[in-house]
Amino acid sequence: MEKDTVKENTYHNIKTFDQKGWIRENLDYKKDSGSWAWIFHRITGIALIAYLFLHVYSLSPLTQGEVAFNNKMQSFSSPFFMLVEWFLFAFVLFHSLNGIRIVIVDWADGAKYHKQLYTLSWIIGIILFLAMGAIMFSHEIKNLF
Amino acid sequence: MYKYKASKETGSKSWVLQRITGLALVVLMIGHYILMHYQPESGHTYQAVLTRMQFSWYRIIDLTFITLGMYHGLNGIWNIFRDYKLKPWAKISVQSALIILGIAFTVWGFNIIFSIPYVGGFSAK
Repeated sequence: MEKDTVKENTYHNIKTFDQKGWIRENLDYKKDSGSWAWIFHRITGIALIAYLFLHVYSLSPLTQGEVAFNNKMQSFSSPFFMLVEWFLFAFVLFHSLNGIRIVIVDWADGAKYHKQLYTLSWIIGIILFLAMGAIMFSHEIKNLF
Repeated sequence: MYKYKASKETGSKSWVLQRITGLALVVLMIGHYILMHYQPESGHTYQAVLTRMQFSWYRIIDLTFITLGMYHGLNGIWNIFRDYKLKPWAKISVQSALIILGIAFTVWGFNIIFSIPYVGGFSAK
């Protein structure tokens, strides 16, 4: 009996995760590249599954034939939507490259150099993001010069 | 002695699957972007879609893409919920909502692909 109370008391001294103040707790946590990778991976992941739903919805006029579909696609070719699409690609890039980083960390001893991998994924990501911009806006860029 | 009573599942299968589907999605995504965006206009008209869909292998890739994407995405959302120790009733509600949402949108996507006709004149089936 006595042993049990002692054991119980020791548990009170351990600081556990405070579920009520989890936002504060998360914000106060000292963040290194790994924490940022985790945060961005979540945000981009949520955005991408939301987009996947939107993607299915936006392609649904395919069932209504040529006119309906082309009208829908026309509405997506405005500069605003192209800009949104470009940033969507940024989300895809981060989630893909960081996903590869996670797999390397889990399966290929990448924990030893995960910070370098994080930097590398940003470098590759920014290069591919700019390259995509150059392709998507090639007409606009041509008109500028 | 602390014991986790909510479930006997360790989640290791979903962990492995999340990585495998993730890698597959990266490969599919590269193909998707090369095909759909190698120039601003490529592939976004009804004719272009119709032409592509004459190839059954292309339909199969699309169906795989949406299935893997839905699984990976919704399993990812579930992984976020798992971080916040849900009560059993909340766990079941969230899981059912995600499964229903996933099945509904996958079926919708399949339906869209299957609704695109095979047109005569193409022999590329």
